[in-house]
Amino acid sequence: MRTISLYVEKESFIHGLDPVTKLWLTASLLIIPFIVGNIESTLVCLGINLALLSVARVIRRIFSILAMSLVLIITLFIIQGMFYGGNRTEAFALGSLVFYREGLRYATLLTLRFFNIISASMVLILTTRPSDLIESLVRRGLSPRIGYVLASVLQIIPMMISNTSTIMDAQRSRGMETEGRLVTRMKAYLPLMAPLVMSSLVATQERAMALEVRAFGARNPKTFLHEEIISRHALPIRVLTSLGLVAAVIWRVIL
Amino acid sequence: MKPEVMVQDLSYRYDDGEEKALDGVSFEVYPGEFLGVVGPNKAGKSTLCQALVGLVPHFFHGNMDGRVVAGGIDTRETTVDELSKTVGLVFQNPFTQVTGAKLTVYEEIAFGLENIGLPRDEITRRVDEMIALFGLEHVRHHNPFELSGGQMQRMAIASIMALRPRIVALDEPTSQLDPQGSAEVFQAVAALRNQGLTVIMAEQKVEKIARYADRVLLMHKGKVAACDRPEVVFSRDNLLDLGIRPPAYTSVARELDLRRPDGTLPVTLDDAVALLRNSSVNS
Amino acid sequence: MRVRVENVRFHYRLGEPVLKGVTLDFEGEATAIIGQNGAGKSTLVRLINGLLKPVSGEVRVGDWNTGDFSVARLARRVGLVFQNPNDQVFKSVVRDEVMFGPKNLGMSGDTALASSREALADVGLEGAMDANPYDLSLAERKLVSIASVVAMNTDVVIFDEPTIAQDYAGVQRIGTLIEKLKARGKLIIAITHDMDFVAEIFPRAVVLRRGEVIIDGSTREVFSRPDLLRDSFVEPPHATQLGQALGLSETVLSVDEAVKGIKGHRSRLGGLAGSDTAHDQQFFQ
Repeated sequence: MRTISLYVEKESFIHGLDPVTKLWLTASLLIIPFIVGNIESTLVCLGINLALLSVARVIRRIFSILAMSLVLIITLFIIQGMFYGGNRTEAFALGSLVFYREGLRYATLLTLRFFNIISASMVLILTTRPSDLIESLVRRGLSPRIGYVLASVLQIIPMMISNTSTIMDAQRSRGMETEGRLVTRMKAYLPLMAPLVMSSLVATQERAMALEVRAFGARNPKTFLHEEIISRHALPIRVLTSLGLVAAVIWRVIL
Repeated sequence: MKPEVMVQDLSYRYDDGEEKALDGVSFEVYPGEFLGVVGPNKAGKSTLCQALVGLVPHFFHGNMDGRVVAGGIDTRETTVDELSKTVGLVFQNPFTQVTGAKLTVYEEIAFGLENIGLPRDEITRRVDEMIALFGLEHVRHHNPFELSGGQMQRMAIASIMALRPRIVALDEPTSQLDPQGSAEVFQAVAALRNQGLTVIMAEQKVEKIARYADRVLLMHKGKVAACDRPEVVFSRDNLLDLGIRPPAYTSVARELDLRRPDGTLPVTLDDAVALLRNSSVNS
Repeated sequence: MRVRVENVRFHYRLGEPVLKGVTLDFEGEATAIIGQNGAGKSTLVRLINGLLKPVSGEVRVGDWNTGDFSVARLARRVGLVFQNPNDQVFKSVVRDEVMFGPKNLGMSGDTALASSREALADVGLEGAMDANPYDLSLAERKLVSIASVVAMNTDVVIFDEPTIAQDYAGVQRIGTLIEKLKARGKLIIAITHDMDFVAEIFPRAVVLRRGEVIIDGSTREVFSRPDLLRDSFVEPPHATQLGQALGLSETVLSVDEAVKGIKGHRSRLGGLAGSDTAHDQQFFQ
């Protein structure tokens, strides 16, 4: 069964952390470089993130994502290197194309920030089951109804998508052309979408009833089947990341 | 004996309905009894099931008259979640009963128990018990959507039974299953009986109802057309006018004018065979 | 129209064969395809209407090899009603839904309307022409999906579980419709779990198990082999079960046949054995 998730099942110190600590960690490492604002802090956070990813043995996954963004990054360097507003000092020239130091430095900062955002998010995403994250948030006061919607959407959307091929088959069986010109394919779109939407609406009402008869509407405090395991590293990590955030703010205000 | 379920002059109209889905329905079900509910589509079987668990009137916003008392609780005066501990409902479509938010069969069955806030060790005890009772041991760690239709429907029954209701209603639980799935579900229903539960089951397969039910409630256009022992209900000669056919065994017996000592026709295979053997001996 | 399935093999994923060399010839008589879920029934009918193409072997619809034609083109010859109407129904008015197929096949507006009106009348929904299909019940929506394929007036009509969610009246209506199509010379194939329906409507039955044809014969022959059916969790029709429990020599398929069979059995016994009850009892056990 497919669910919408990039979670990679592994045993590691990072995997063992509770989702909220990881959320805290990711958010801090993502925000600190923006608060401090220089290349050095970005490099430090990126380094920490990459270290965490390799500890979790999922670092390979991130390379493909970074490789995919290569075109974007090259474009960034060309544009900023040549046309950045603060360009003063010439770095080098390729024929008549002049690249400036300031622009290249700015492009480097943007690239590092981009890498950092990706790798920080991946620390959370690759090592945490979405359902565990949602459950942790429900434990901390997120409405169970919102939690349910988030969790079920992750499973029900892929199921709806896998249903589209059956719907498409049903229409082709009634003589609908789905191949050929763009107009033909566009015309095939409605017969596909309408049953998809209508049958999910029907299913939603039935599912809502099925949830009610299993006491989903109960107002008493719910039990969580799985005990939340907070690893002994959680507290030091939360303290450290908080200190990091405080330090970043102080740096920003004072300097 | 005090009835376990009392339905008194129940009428209901959905807010978008032109006609009453239920119209003056009254009947009683006794503890441990198996009541089969038969009738054509739109006769009110599903609405009746929804009324037993309080979805009517609490989930739909229609017009309800009369009352339903299940396990001593007036459904109007409580909530659906409160009632779930007394009366359960298994729906027709196995897919739409899966919450979609749980990743394993085990977690799926625990869903209702989490909701009513049971202690964790009690949840695991009950879920393990249900998994064993409904033969789901080998799929306990599977994703609920990966099960076959029959397994999914057994999981749905297990999820309801885990709440330990005294009464279980099933709304055509086998209509969308293949023969194997359907056989599995009927086995599960037999298990409910053995647990001493009061069972109310809507079903199109008259031969199955004739075999399992102590009494049969025949519905037609929202009204009760008959409520009696299967032999009595299926011996009526106007069944086709009421939108259902009698069991094949009953039709054969009618043609041969083969009656039981009380004047009714046989409704099960065993009963028909026994009567035929006797009659051939006596002829 | 003749449909020939010749030594067809099919798999969705390599190493997991779904059909393992199936050969079937359909001509004239209506055929029921029986078997457990996963036996390959739905795959077989999708091969016939060209949604799937055989990995090896070939499927011919009349003189067309399905491999050479698009699904939309094959739809001129083969109509397929899907199991779940919710996968099929998409228009907001029943009339448009039923006319969709006929129009795709190039029927003029008038012809398509006439054909749709007739098909809807056949399923008992002539009054629902202007309704929204999603205001109808699931059972009625199934009837709309049946009408929308029947209205295409194809030579071959395939049904996937036609009687699902239907009550007695719905089953009767679909049975009458299939009889009418048979009388018009249409080739009918239906996947179904409803054995009473098979016995009533279909002269021929094919049982599939794990991608292979295990029995292909007259419905009477098929139902006289409860041993083979048991593996597929198929129970013969109730009347047949009664006949078998009584040890009638002929396999009976309906209530009427059972009645006749039992009467015949009695008179034969009467003639042969008189009041020899011991003999009689032995016979009935």
